[in-house]
Amino acid sequence: MDSLIKEFRAAYAGQLGNDLARTLTPDVPNNAAQLISVWESGNSQSVKDDLKFLFVRDKSARLNMSSEEAVGWQEIYYSYWKALGEILAAEGLRKSRVKTSWTSVYEAWKELASQIIRGYTNHEFENWTIPCLYVAGKYMRLYAMRADAERGSNGDEMVTNFQDDFDPETEKHKSLEDCARQLNRIFNLCLSDRAPLSESRKWGIYYAINLLFKTYFKLNSAALSKNVLRVLSAGRGDMPDFESFPKSQQVTFKYYEGVLAFLEENYEEAERHLTLAWLLCHKGATRNMELILTYLIPCHLLTTHTLPSAKLLAPFPRLQALFLKLATAIKKGDLRGFHQALQEGEDEFVKRRIYLTLERGRDIALRNLLRKVFIAGGFIEGAEGGAQVRRTRIPVAEFAAAIRMSGGQDIDTDEVECLLANMIYKNLMKGYIAHERGFVVLSKNGAFPGTGV
Amino acid sequence: MSWASATPPGTQPGYVSYAHAATAYTPVAVRQGFGQPYTLQPQYAAYANTTNPPPAPAAPPAEPQQQQQKIDWPDKVRSYVQRSFESKNMLPDVSREEMEAKLKETISHAKDAGIMYTTDWDSMPLPQMLVRTQRAALLEAQQRATTQMLAASWPSPASAAASTEPPARATNHHNSKKRKSSDFSESDPSTGNPWRSNKKLLSLSDRISQPPGLDKHILHQTLDLLKKKWRKENNYNYICDQFKSLRQDLTVQRIKNEFTVSVYEIHARIALEKGDLGEYNQCQTQLRALYASGIKGNAVEFKAYRILYFIHTANRTALNDAIADLTTADKEERAIKHALEVRSALALGNYHRFFQLYLDVPNMGAYLMDMFVKRERLAALANMCKAYKPDFKLRFITEELAFESDAEAAQFIIDHNGQHLLVEREDSIIFLAGNAKQLFETARADAHRRVDLKGQI
Repeated sequence: MDSLIKEFRAAYAGQLGNDLARTLTPDVPNNAAQLISVWESGNSQSVKDDLKFLFVRDKSARLNMSSEEAVGWQEIYYSYWKALGEILAAEGLRKSRVKTSWTSVYEAWKELASQIIRGYTNHEFENWTIPCLYVAGKYMRLYAMRADAERGSNGDEMVTNFQDDFDPETEKHKSLEDCARQLNRIFNLCLSDRAPLSESRKWGIYYAINLLFKTYFKLNSAALSKNVLRVLSAGRGDMPDFESFPKSQQVTFKYYEGVLAFLEENYEEAERHLTLAWLLCHKGATRNMELILTYLIPCHLLTTHTLPSAKLLAPFPRLQALFLKLATAIKKGDLRGFHQALQEGEDEFVKRRIYLTLERGRDIALRNLLRKVFIAGGFIEGAEGGAQVRRTRIPVAEFAAAIRMSGGQDIDTDEVECLLANMIYKNLMKGYIAHERGFVVLSKNGAFPGTGV
Repeated sequence: MSWASATPPGTQPGYVSYAHAATAYTPVAVRQGFGQPYTLQPQYAAYANTTNPPPAPAAPPAEPQQQQQKIDWPDKVRSYVQRSFESKNMLPDVSREEMEAKLKETISHAKDAGIMYTTDWDSMPLPQMLVRTQRAALLEAQQRATTQMLAASWPSPASAAASTEPPARATNHHNSKKRKSSDFSESDPSTGNPWRSNKKLLSLSDRISQPPGLDKHILHQTLDLLKKKWRKENNYNYICDQFKSLRQDLTVQRIKNEFTVSVYEIHARIALEKGDLGEYNQCQTQLRALYASGIKGNAVEFKAYRILYFIHTANRTALNDAIADLTTADKEERAIKHALEVRSALALGNYHRFFQLYLDVPNMGAYLMDMFVKRERLAALANMCKAYKPDFKLRFITEELAFESDAEAAQFIIDHNGQHLLVEREDSIIFLAGNAKQLFETARADAHRRVDLKGQI
């Protein structure tokens, strides 16, 4: 414990937030030995006494700290010590081989997080210490997920309730739901700080938001993130510039903002956010780039009708597997190929929530097919001996034949007309259908906008 | 139909003892039309006089006070009386007359027994509370008697679940032959348990006095009775309340088995038939949870409804989740396949396919599709009006948009202020599609903007 407090004092004297946060980081894989030694430095009573001495009575440290604040830190390290005990027990690293559950770990860590929050509300903590909040939030989320997973695999009986509505989903994510509430406290703690920006906790807000987003997505209640965005945009005026936050936080935030817009089918907004995230993303962060592209590519397909190039996909084998077949089919106007690719990838697409968006790519595949029919129609003599022009009066039967061939199944003329009507309605094709006479009249200039014919 | 008309007074002796209670627990609104005054019926009065409810100190029968002598009432008694009449202490399930009677009884008992000055009037339960306690005790006694009576003669309840198996559905040619929820249950009418059959939702506090699992048979019996009643009387408000009450019993007694599933399934079907989406959605949510916990039922049927429901509410996220929930085997099921095709047709704007699917819906999905068919007709018309020039026969719309007749199609267009678009030419009616673009585009946008989310949280 002494060594831990020594580190604390060094970080505190230098106002080094990250160093300070490191003293509260239970990084078991990399730091097990030290964590064990901290835990074994005493029992509950002696640790309490030690901490009291170190923070309150020991005048040798000469930290410029009010007694209020000292009490706050003392409580935090005591909670941390207790949480460590649970963590080590859950990892099976305690000498006594005591067993515990991740739920208890979560509860202990939550207590620590509460103490840290209290540090800001009651003990005058300064804003350079906010990395401590990050650690609290980060591990709280991880432990909550482990707690839920553990209970799930144990098949513990559901807690009985007398409500008319019961939902196993909520039971399954009990800890994480609770965690979301705690993270919300952190978010509000950052948001509500009225101190001048240089001393404000508002600098912690995007970290807190990103954790909240992750949690909400995991809980399948992404819609709740909307509330966060609403609050944020309401207080946008007194917030530090978004650009002055760490880039990592910017990327994560933009990514989630984009995905949220994507889920609401607001593709143009989604594309804006995702593009920004893409540009800011660290070049080495392959996994993050992959995630961004997973949504940016379908977005792009709908907004600009363009497909990803092979070069873009080259570094991402997973994305290739996801999109390549589909893209090829769209390009060739191959309806059957498109259908197959969509079906093969269905599970993955649905899981990533891009299925419903990609499905609309069929329109582009169909457009490409119809365009081929138009081009195959060739040229006719221009009016009054003018230059040759493309044939623009095309029998519905020709389109029908193409769709039958490409789709590999029969389709009646009315349905073909319906598909053509859709093309026109969506501005993928310019012209009109003359139903009674059974042909389509395409526009002389730009029958298929944006494709050069 | 009002509540009272469904329950002829006098035929349900137990009804009185159970009258509806609305306290903090019940999640549903109390029906306002429940206007029957609460009157003591002979058998109840007899019971009340002989039963001796343990917690009530004033139970022994008291001779009504014939003449009122002048008595100097102690202050404590006065304030007790005052408190009894305070409106905040009134209970909705105890009428004023009843309370007054009980109050009189209590006080005269105290006077006769000579304990008026010794009774602790401040901690004495108010008369309305006494009435309630007494009722609960009475109920319990009665129930015990009923269960014992039934235990010997009641057949296995297994038939209830089996009876809800939906038979294959004849094609739904337009809306001529929609399935009714009552088609789903075979007729096995039973005599029913008189006291149980007309129960309103109870408050939890009333219920708690009853040992759990006491009336399993009675629950089954109730379901049968309700099914029968639904077929016969078709009184939705009444049946819906009864089902809610039944569901509450299941919840309170923590019964989660195939019977529970069938109760929710039947209620969901009835709600669907009556277009009560709020109630339907509640059942659907519960059913999903019940199926998820491995209880058998008509999961396929309801998964298909669920997809159609989310199409109606245009809840894209939930739709994605619903699809994610499906297994490969599910996707081969006709009903689910149909629902997925409906979704896909709409996503691609393939109205031709959509309306063909509308004409052939498995189970009761047509009731759900009815909810959004108007919206989709407008979308299709907007689409056609932009793509077709200059005109086409009205018959084409009738066929493409699955109207029953040209007249119905024409009416639909007229309803949307499109009378000027219909002209008669030679022997048929022509629709001037080329001129209608703006009209139907506006109508489409309106219809898609507001999705009526009754009961959606």
